Amino acid sequence: MAESPARTAFAEEALTHLDTLYRGALRLTRDPDSAQDLVQEAYLRALRYQHSYQAGTNMKAWLFAIMRNLFWDRFKGSRKEDVSLDDVGEFVLYEKLRDEGAKPEADVLDKLAASEVVAAVEKLPPLHREVVLLVDVEGFSYKDAAQTLGVPIGTVMSRLHRARQQLQKSLYEYAVESGIVRANGTKEVPNNELQ
Amino acid sequence: MNCSDCSEKLDSYLDRELSNTEMLELQLHLEGCPPCADNYEFQASMKRLVKVCCEQDKAPEAFREKLRQILT
Repeated sequence: MAESPARTAFAEEALTHLDTLYRGALRLTRDPDSAQDLVQEAYLRALRYQHSYQAGTNMKAWLFAIMRNLFWDRFKGSRKEDVSLDDVGEFVLYEKLRDEGAKPEADVLDKLAASEVVAAVEKLPPLHREVVLLVDVEGFSYKDAAQTLGVPIGTVMSRLHRARQQLQKSLYEYAVESGIVRANGTKEVPNNELQ
Repeated sequence: MNCSDCSEKLDSYLDRELSNTEMLELQLHLEGCPPCADNYEFQASMKRLVKVCCEQDKAPEAFREKLRQILT
């Protein structure tokens, strides 16, 4: 059946945001097949509720909101997973590395495998993970992230802060385990011994 | 601005979420405070790293085509 030109144009515009939705779904579900199912359902729902989208507003944010709401409905039940990151404390990787003499500190980041960084993101509780995805990966403003997630800006800021601390803690643990830095030591191992 | 204020606002500075005045205040502090500047550079590198690593995934072409068939 031929679709109307308006619907086709809307779908085409929506599809320009496919990579963002797919990446988000992949990080949330941690499974490519589930991610594709989720994204497909999100697009079908978006077309069904096309009339509720206000032209000229942030379509990427609107689509992401549909996708993440479906994620919570389908994969997690309607109740949000309430995992606190309060026990992370003020973990500051930079200070940890500086205190351990791993200079320059930023060199340690260059030695981290991309897969470990992704794994650290995926280990975050979903409510914190989605904030990192929106702000750090997709470049959403706090305001757009807050609207997408349906929470106040302050909540975005506090979740983001906690998530970044937890990410750095996970990556530090990986760096120690893999010998990139030595806990309580003063030296790094050479580049060619890593990964 | 002291180091404690700087640390408190560093996330927002990193994400370009401060007012112009606050951005300038923090920038001036960073220019005069090497430890805070080093920390900022590290946090900025960390943010870039997360973005670059997570952005590598793209929707498979077959999936994109399938969606186009379904939706248009």
